[in-house]
Amino acid sequence: MTNGDDVVMITIRKRPWWFWALAELWLLLEVLLVQTALASARESEYRAAAISWIAAAILAAAGVFGWLRRRDSRKPIEANERS
Amino acid sequence: MEELRKPIGRRSLLKAGGFVAATGTLGWLGALVTGVGTGSNQRKRARWVKTVVRPTLGETNADYKRFSGFDMFALYRPLKTQHEGTGSFEAEQVSKAKRLIAWTNEKKPGFSLPDQKLSEGAWTVMRSSRPGTGLLSWTRTPGRTSTEPSAQRYTASPEEMANTVKAAARLYGARLVGIAPMNESYVNLQVPRQDEKEKDKDIVFEDVDVPEVTDTKFVIPRKMKWVVAIAIPMDIELLARTPTPLGDAASALGYSHSAFVVSSLAVFIRGLGYEAIPCVNDTAQSIPFALDAGIGELSRLNKLVTPEFGPAVRLCKVFTDLPMAYDKPVDFGLVEFCKTCKKCAEVCPSRALSFDDEPSFKTKGPWNNPGHKTWFEDSYKCFEYWQKSGSACGVCLASCPYTKGDQAWIHEGVKAIASIAPATDGVFRIMDNAFGYGKQHDPEQWWTKDQPSDRRG
Ligand code: SF4
Ligand code: SF4
Repeated sequence: MTNGDDVVMITIRKRPWWFWALAELWLLLEVLLVQTALASARESEYRAAAISWIAAAILAAAGVFGWLRRRDSRKPIEANERS
Repeated sequence: MEELRKPIGRRSLLKAGGFVAATGTLGWLGALVTGVGTGSNQRKRARWVKTVVRPTLGETNADYKRFSGFDMFALYRPLKTQHEGTGSFEAEQVSKAKRLIAWTNEKKPGFSLPDQKLSEGAWTVMRSSRPGTGLLSWTRTPGRTSTEPSAQRYTASPEEMANTVKAAARLYGARLVGIAPMNESYVNLQVPRQDEKEKDKDIVFEDVDVPEVTDTKFVIPRKMKWVVAIAIPMDIELLARTPTPLGDAASALGYSHSAFVVSSLAVFIRGLGYEAIPCVNDTAQSIPFALDAGIGELSRLNKLVTPEFGPAVRLCKVFTDLPMAYDKPVDFGLVEFCKTCKKCAEVCPSRALSFDDEPSFKTKGPWNNPGHKTWFEDSYKCFEYWQKSGSACGVCLASCPYTKGDQAWIHEGVKAIASIAPATDGVFRIMDNAFGYGKQHDPEQWWTKDQPSDRRG
C-alpha cells in the first residue's frame, strides 16, 4: 500500500556498446570451452576435458562477478538529477 | 502510426553494428574452418587448406631415382648382421618371442592374448593380397570381373570422370581421394620376392594396351597417366594404445581396408572400360603421389600428414588410363609447424626422428631414397625398437598434434590459425602438451569402449 505522496523512480540506463561486444565474446568462449570439455570427454581426452571445464568455470565466475560489479558500482541517483 | 517510429539512437546503432560484426566474424571463422561445399563428390575441405602449384616439401634433385623397392623389412636382417654379426637377427627373434609370451603371462597391459590376436585378425585381408595376384590382380580376372573390356566405354569430361571415381572410392571406404599425374620416377624398380623360392621381378613401363605380370616382370602400360591417391584413416582409439600389439591393430586394419578399397576401385574402373592397377604399399612410393594429389604435406616424420587426420592414415593408390582432372598439392602451414613442433622426435623411444631445424637432402641410410628434400629418419633404429617392444610402435603417429578426433570444434580453429599465422605455432605446441594430447591411453579400457560400428556417421 502506498499513499499518494510516494514516488517510485525507475532508472533505465543503457549499457555501452562495448559491453555487448564483450558479452558476446564471453558467451562465445563459454560455448567453445564447454563444447571442448564435452567432446574431449567423449574422445577419452580426460585431461583436456578437465582443463576445459575448469577454464569454463573460471570464465563463468568472472562473467558473473563482472556483471555484479558493474551493477553495484553505479552511482546512486542524486536528488538534483530528478526532474 | 508516425509516433511509433522512433529515431535510431547512436548507441542502438553501435550495438546493432557490434552484433552484426560479431556475427559476421563468427560466420567468417565458421566458413574458414568448415569450408564451403563444392557440389562435387569431393570431401569438403576447410578453407585454410590452400592449393599450391607444387608440394611444400619433397622437392627433388638430379639424384632422385626410382627406388629399389626393398623396404626396411627386407633390409633389417642384413643390416643387423652387419652391425652385430651372424646370428644376431635370429637371436633377436627368439628373445622377442620369449618376451611376448612372458608379457602375456604377466598380464602386461596391451599384451594379452586377445590384444595380440586382434591385430592378427585385422591383417587378414592384407595378408592374403600380394602384388599382381588375388585382390591386387593387375588384370581382368575371370569369374570375378569380365575378362574383356566393356563393350561400352564410359566417357565424360575429365572433371566428371574424377568426381565419379572419387565417389566410388569414398563409398568403398576412402576418406581422402586425389588425382595425380603418373610420375615414373615414383615407381619402384622391382617387386621384391615374398619368399626364398621366388625371384625379384622388375617393374617396367611399355607401350602395351593392358598391364601384364610375367615370370620376370610387371608391365605398366605407358598410357596409364593417372593415379588415384587414397588415404584411409587409422582408428585413433587403437593408435592411442601404442606401442602394444593392441595398438598395432590400427595399422593392420588400415592396410586391410586399403587392400579392399583399391581392389574394389580397380574392378569399378575396369567395368567402365579402362585398365586399373591396384597397389597398397607395393609397386610405387605412395607419399609423393599423395603429395601431388593434394592429400597432405610432407612432415618431420618423413611421412604424409593430412589436415584432417594428421599422419594417422594409410596410403594406397590405383594407376589407370581413365582420363581425369588432376588435383593440386596443398599447403596448410604444416612444414612451418614441424620446424617449431618436434614433438614426434621428442617422444620417439628410439630417437629415430630428426631434430634438425630445417629439412635437407642428407639421407640416414640405405632405406632412404636419396635426391629429395625432407627430414630423413633412421629406420634401422625404429625397426630395432619394434623388435624390442614387440609391436610396430606408432607412438610418433599418435603424438602428432594433427592426430585428433573430429568432435571438438577448437581443433579446427587452432589448425586454421596455425595455417595463416606461424608465429602462433609455439604456443599451440605448448598447449598441446599441457592438455595432455598424444599420451598413451589405458589399453585394458579399450575392450569396453564404443567401437566404430557403434558410432554414428
Ligand atoms: S614408430 Fe616408434 S620408434 Fe619408429 S619413428 Fe615412430 S616413434 Fe620412433
Ligand atoms: S609431431 Fe609435430 S613435428 Fe612431428 S609431424 Fe607432427 S606436427 Fe610435425
